[in-house]
Amino acid sequence: MGNLVQAELRKTTTTGLWWGLLIPTAVLALGWGLATGLLGQFFVDFASSNDVDEVSDFLGVSPDQWKVSLFGMARAINISTIFPMIFGALAISGEINRRTITTTFLTAPSRMQSMLAKMLVYVMWGAIYGLAIMLFLGIGVVITSEPGQLPDAGGWMMLTLVCVLSSILMTMFGVGVGALIPNVAGTIVLLLLYFLVIENVLHLVLAYLEVPSVIGFLPNGSINGLTGSVSVDLFLSTAGVVPKEIEDVLRAIAGAGGALDWWWSGLVFLAWSGIVFAGGWASTQSKDIT
Amino acid sequence: MHDGSGLIAVQNLTKQFGPVTAVHNLSFTVSPGSVTGFLGPNGAGKTTTLRMLLGLVKPTSGTATINGRPFQQLGQPGRVVGAVLEAQGFHPARSARNHLRVYAAAVGVPDAQADQVLGLVGLGSAADRKVGGFSLGMKQRLALATALLGDPQVLVLDEPANGLDPEGIAWLRTFLQSYARMGRTVLISSHLLAEVEQTVDQVVIISRGQTMFYGPLDQLRQSQQKRVLVQPSDINALATALRAEGVQAIEQLPDGRLAVSGVDSRHVADTALKAGVSIYGIQEEQVDLERLFFQLTSGQYAGYAPAPYQQQQQGGWA
Ligand SMILES: Nc1ncnc2c1ncn2[C@@H]1O[C@H](COP(=O)(O)OP(=O)(O)OP(=O)(O)O)[C@@H](O)[C@H]1O
Ligand SMILES: [Mg+2]
Repeated sequence: MGNLVQAELRKTTTTGLWWGLLIPTAVLALGWGLATGLLGQFFVDFASSNDVDEVSDFLGVSPDQWKVSLFGMARAINISTIFPMIFGALAISGEINRRTITTTFLTAPSRMQSMLAKMLVYVMWGAIYGLAIMLFLGIGVVITSEPGQLPDAGGWMMLTLVCVLSSILMTMFGVGVGALIPNVAGTIVLLLLYFLVIENVLHLVLAYLEVPSVIGFLPNGSINGLTGSVSVDLFLSTAGVVPKEIEDVLRAIAGAGGALDWWWSGLVFLAWSGIVFAGGWASTQSKDIT
Repeated sequence: MHDGSGLIAVQNLTKQFGPVTAVHNLSFTVSPGSVTGFLGPNGAGKTTTLRMLLGLVKPTSGTATINGRPFQQLGQPGRVVGAVLEAQGFHPARSARNHLRVYAAAVGVPDAQADQVLGLVGLGSAADRKVGGFSLGMKQRLALATALLGDPQVLVLDEPANGLDPEGIAWLRTFLQSYARMGRTVLISSHLLAEVEQTVDQVVIISRGQTMFYGPLDQLRQSQQKRVLVQPSDINALATALRAEGVQAIEQLPDGRLAVSGVDSRHVADTALKAGVSIYGIQEEQVDLERLFFQLTSGQYAGYAPAPYQQQQQGGWA
């Protein structure tokens, strides 16, 4: 198994795909970070200037102490982790596409072992992408935000944790989908459509039907819940007693409307990844490689 | 684990792709110590059979084993069997050396082995070039290098001469023969008997997914009777004289010669002398393996001769 892990690792480091996708990931995270600070600034200025005093009364802190950057950061992580997901999606579909899968299977004791080795290597890459996202996002946010709007040390730790977790989980999900749909273009289009369009429409429909709690169990809903819930929790921890309605609005802003607790969300998404991977494994296991 | 015998055994192997029967109840064995040719026309089922042997395609029925085990049970297959399959994939952006290092890691051999096999197949100077820029022959060589990484006991090659230059083919021939002589097993497919005739000792000939001949190449040669082609001064006199000696297989060819089977040219010449017939020309027909191969395989996708061009008598369209 160690041999196979090394082989899979070498596969990823001997082509340029890992940095080819890492660059846009970093740029996107940095951009979101910068925008987050600017938007937060604008929002706070607006809030402090006039009649939203009631809101600040609710929250029990003055607007310049609102850690609004947290919401932008949660959103930034959700968007940026699409790249590691695509990186993962190419793991198996790319090999089938280029027919390198033949040699891969000829040199592995079993198909199962080569897929597991791949998964391990991509978990590691997911973590690397997650750290890079947090790094560039952090730089962007710090540049444009007032110190009062930034999370404290514990908050940074927590956000880094969920960012890395989220990135790993998204990568794993991608690996599974890539195995299930052994077609590079098909896999990527489906993933992008689903995460950027289809599920967002579903969320609106579910909210309209007044069953928003279902959202937290969907793939995008649960992965957003992982980061969104943490940022809302962090925001509220510095605020006073907040009425339920306001909390729901805050969750929606963080992209975690209808979401479960962060760790529950993580588990739900892990289950989705597991299901997809099991399906991909089953189809790869019996596939004729001709 | 496997028994280390180096034996390939295919038993009643059948593969159905939907309505297409690619391989039908195929059986043969391949022993170590010799090069076995696996021959058949396009679409005969060679690639499908080899892929079933290598665990890449699941047989509809029957078994294919290497060292007494199906591929999935070989443990570390890269150390037991090396394979070159047609259309084998390479990542175009990976260098030849990096490609080999990936699979060296998977097979569990040191990285030095990658450079060693590159040198062996003559790609040492192209080691750091991207495979995307390789010619067909270079890719074929790299595929062979990949197969040799684990120093396997059994080599399975699907049309390995494809794209190789004459020098490369000659090299491959000697290489495979010496590989077999070390007591290893070599199975090599081709749709051209002539291409492998000088390389192989044994042949398995298939057509439409079924075995047509299986045994030593020499036995195949002997199965075709030799003929003596002779041009005598008097055809009838010679034919009568030969018949008097009990030679029955005499045939008159359209070009006016006699074709005599079952005797050698000396016998024919002596008989002619005794009968007082002069001989203007005599020759022993070489066994034409290629023709034999055609007879055995009767191309399943044989093309037609082009229809003669007919000049239009009257201009214009009907
Ligand atoms: N994946 C597949 N799906 C459907 N039919 C297939 C598939 N693979 C092979 N076949 C069919 O099986 C038959 C045998 O094909 P195969 O590739 O084994 O022939 P071959 O002897 O290797 O021919 P060639 O000399 O052209 O390489 C052909 O009729 C082919 O069309
Ligand atoms: Mg073939």
